[in-house]
Amino acid sequence: MSAAGASGHGLPSLDDVFTQITTNPNVANVASYLKTFAPREVRETILASALGSGQDPLTVLDPHRNTLGYLYILSARLHSISTANPVANAILPDAIEAFASKFNPPQARLAADRVTLLGKGIVRFYEAAHNPRGAIAPLSNLVQRYPPNLSYLTTLHPIFLRLCVTQRYFAAALPVLSHPITSVDPSLSDLHYNDNLVYHYAGGIALGSLKRWQQAEEFFEICVSAPAQVPAAIQLEAFKKLVLVQLIQYGETIAPPKYTLPALQRQLKNTPYNNFVKAYPAEVSTLRQIVAKEQEIFNQEKNLGLINQAIDRAPVWLIKKLTATYLTLGLADIGKEVGINSPEEVREIILSMIDSGEINGSISQDGTVTFADPVPQFSKDQLDKMLVDAQEHSRLLNEIERHLNASKEYLTKVCLIRFCRCMMSLC
Amino acid sequence: MDIDIIDDEMTQAYTHRAIGKRPRVPVDDAHPFELETYISSYSGRTYVDRLIHIMSICPTLAPQAFQLAIREAQKGRDTTLYRSIFQAYDRAHADAPDEIPEGSSIATVDHKWLEETNAKNQAERTKLEVELKTYTSNMIKESIRMAHRDLGVFYRSVGEQAASLKHYTKSREFCTTSQHVLDMCLSVLELLMEQRSYSHIGTYVFKAEAALDSATSVRQAAHQAPEAPAGSAQATRERRSAERERVQSKLDVATAISHLGQSNYEKAAQAFLKVGPLKGLEEWSGKLIAPGDIAIYATLCALATFSRPQIKSQVLDNDNFGVYIEQEPYVRELLEAYINNRFKTVLESLDRYSTRHYIDVHLAPHVLNLTNLIRSKALVQYFQPFASIKLERMSQAFGWSVDELEQQVVQLIQAGEIKARVDRQNKILKAKETDQRAALFAKAIKNGQAMQAANRKLLLRMRLQQADLVVKPPKGQGMGGGMMDIAAMTGMTGMHHPSSYMSGDYY
Repeated sequence: MSAAGASGHGLPSLDDVFTQITTNPNVANVASYLKTFAPREVRETILASALGSGQDPLTVLDPHRNTLGYLYILSARLHSISTANPVANAILPDAIEAFASKFNPPQARLAADRVTLLGKGIVRFYEAAHNPRGAIAPLSNLVQRYPPNLSYLTTLHPIFLRLCVTQRYFAAALPVLSHPITSVDPSLSDLHYNDNLVYHYAGGIALGSLKRWQQAEEFFEICVSAPAQVPAAIQLEAFKKLVLVQLIQYGETIAPPKYTLPALQRQLKNTPYNNFVKAYPAEVSTLRQIVAKEQEIFNQEKNLGLINQAIDRAPVWLIKKLTATYLTLGLADIGKEVGINSPEEVREIILSMIDSGEINGSISQDGTVTFADPVPQFSKDQLDKMLVDAQEHSRLLNEIERHLNASKEYLTKVCLIRFCRCMMSLC
Repeated sequence: MDIDIIDDEMTQAYTHRAIGKRPRVPVDDAHPFELETYISSYSGRTYVDRLIHIMSICPTLAPQAFQLAIREAQKGRDTTLYRSIFQAYDRAHADAPDEIPEGSSIATVDHKWLEETNAKNQAERTKLEVELKTYTSNMIKESIRMAHRDLGVFYRSVGEQAASLKHYTKSREFCTTSQHVLDMCLSVLELLMEQRSYSHIGTYVFKAEAALDSATSVRQAAHQAPEAPAGSAQATRERRSAERERVQSKLDVATAISHLGQSNYEKAAQAFLKVGPLKGLEEWSGKLIAPGDIAIYATLCALATFSRPQIKSQVLDNDNFGVYIEQEPYVRELLEAYINNRFKTVLESLDRYSTRHYIDVHLAPHVLNLTNLIRSKALVQYFQPFASIKLERMSQAFGWSVDELEQQVVQLIQAGEIKARVDRQNKILKAKETDQRAALFAKAIKNGQAMQAANRKLLLRMRLQQADLVVKPPKGQGMGGGMMDIAAMTGMTGMHHPSSYMSGDYY
């Protein structure tokens, strides 16, 4: 456990490592030193040990200045949690907290794999301590501070989101989810394609639970349409949720983007979801019958909640369809078309629809509903905002194009083509 | 191989026809129909076929049709057909035992004739088959072809269509000139039209056209070889085009009927309207189709699918087609009423002559569809110039009750054919007004947002691809597999089934 045995074999003790961390001013050197100072399995043990003086290194190091060392020691300690004594463990929550809020991001990026390790370690640590929710706050800090900006995807994202969803603490994920991911940098963390899929799938679930349907739809769609040579199971699951979210939001499904794998769409066709989607929107009783038939599968796949919400929304879509056909209708007539018997219930639905601005109309004393054309209203501010957005967007695209134009691969290709043309014209 | 498939489908078509029950068609003052005049324009097999069809859908005419059919059938030698007449009548009688007398009181099966004809048929078949065998062993191509052809004709006359088709198609292998191929194709087409197997007609029309092309070009070459003077070359060309036209009309009719049979009404109308002059049909007229039929088919299909100017220019002002319209005077009335917006008259006369339409073998399955199409087109056209109209007035113009009309209109609105909305309380149909400016704004904003979202997603996708974060098949499983095994996939990535860590439903 202590460093005594290690020094006999010519291996550095934690004290040696500690001096390196604190005295070497060149961070890059520290990084490479930490990576290579001892064989793999021994390294973790050394890092997880205490200093020769019996002091805990984590109390001595400054998480901001010595981010790298702190990161290595902390992740090693979290990793070998079972072997450490309870006294040493007691300070870990504070250390995690301190590191997450104070660490120096550029320094941490030199050891991307350790950051992933740390993220997983934090989750495991709090789980072992029977307080899994405790991991949310430090992870949230870590996720938001580690990447250069929030548009980057890191390995921490899926870890964090998975935690939020399993702990049903969806709101915590919102600050992260509200920034769409547009950048991927493999040097930032060693990403696997699953990280992207899991992040967007779990993000979709979190947003769906918060009833932010539009964002949820986008997240599921990204998961479904992720580049793939063969469909992944998680993509099919996301696809099922995607169509249900679309039914809730629009009353119909929207074709996935063209670049979605055709095999995935075929697979969805073979599931009971297809029947439900085809029948939607119908009278509530009809939909219930369809669902009852496949209840087990829906329940097993944990989609019954979404399906129930979709069914609850079905009358809304039916009424909306009626507004396209009729100018005036009695409440009883509407009830008949929608399959709801009590006029009071129909009145309630219509009132809530008018309130939420889904339809434009009025109910008169004798129960006649008059539908008016929806009048789209646009304020000047709205338009201005749209324009600013558009400009911002085009600036971004321009930047990307410039980047591409300056990239090595592009230039080589262009030069090659020019060269070939030249040669051909000479011949 | 080709033949087998056709056979299967044919038997299917037959059984289907036997099972499918037709609606009963009335014949009374409101729906006048003269069986004698109708059937007199046909001859041969279709005469009997049509009568059988009439028996099955129109019990009132059954006894009369029964007698006519028996008389005609005994002229031929098809004993199965003869028997099926009796069966058809019995069925009709079973459906409506009170209205018509029993079959035995009208006519009885002539067993003597049956036996004699059967024996004769048997003898002839043996003779033809022996001939074929001899020719085959002698390897005389032309004779083999003729033997096959004769057998085809024979089987057709005794009602064994499958065997007939087999011999016709076999004879193709032994055809030496394209004229022979053409003859074979035409025979097969006749057979197919008789059997109403519409989906195969197209193939043979195509083959026939190819044969026709090469036949004419060969003949042209043959004629020009013995240094013919310029004048005679001109004459041959004329003769050639006349010949071509003759066959072409037949092919057009066949194509049109196949389109009709497959519910391609617009194409059917166009093909019918292309059919050349009456004499081009030669023996087909009457044997397969009456000129009046062409007029009716074409008119109904055109009314159901063409726009008004199209109807005017292609149907009414078509001199060639006028000849056919002459055959059925009410068709012209129908067309003129439609052009003049007298929709009530149109619908009334459609109803009045519905018996005539249902009784037709080719048209019967499509009458309902066509009538519906014509009706909705009429409604759409009627409403076009109005901004709003009382349902009552509209219902008068069409001769319906207000409720009936409302139902129709609502259907059309939901199908997107009429851009209007119904005021159920005041019974008014109002055209939709859109505020173009607002609509444009809404559309622009929506598109803008969609564009930005799409760009964002594509950007991410591009980045993912650059970083090679692409879902790949599990190692050890080749790309050829295509469909992946979900278990293997999740196993490899070390992931649980995605739902397993999503604790419970979120609702």
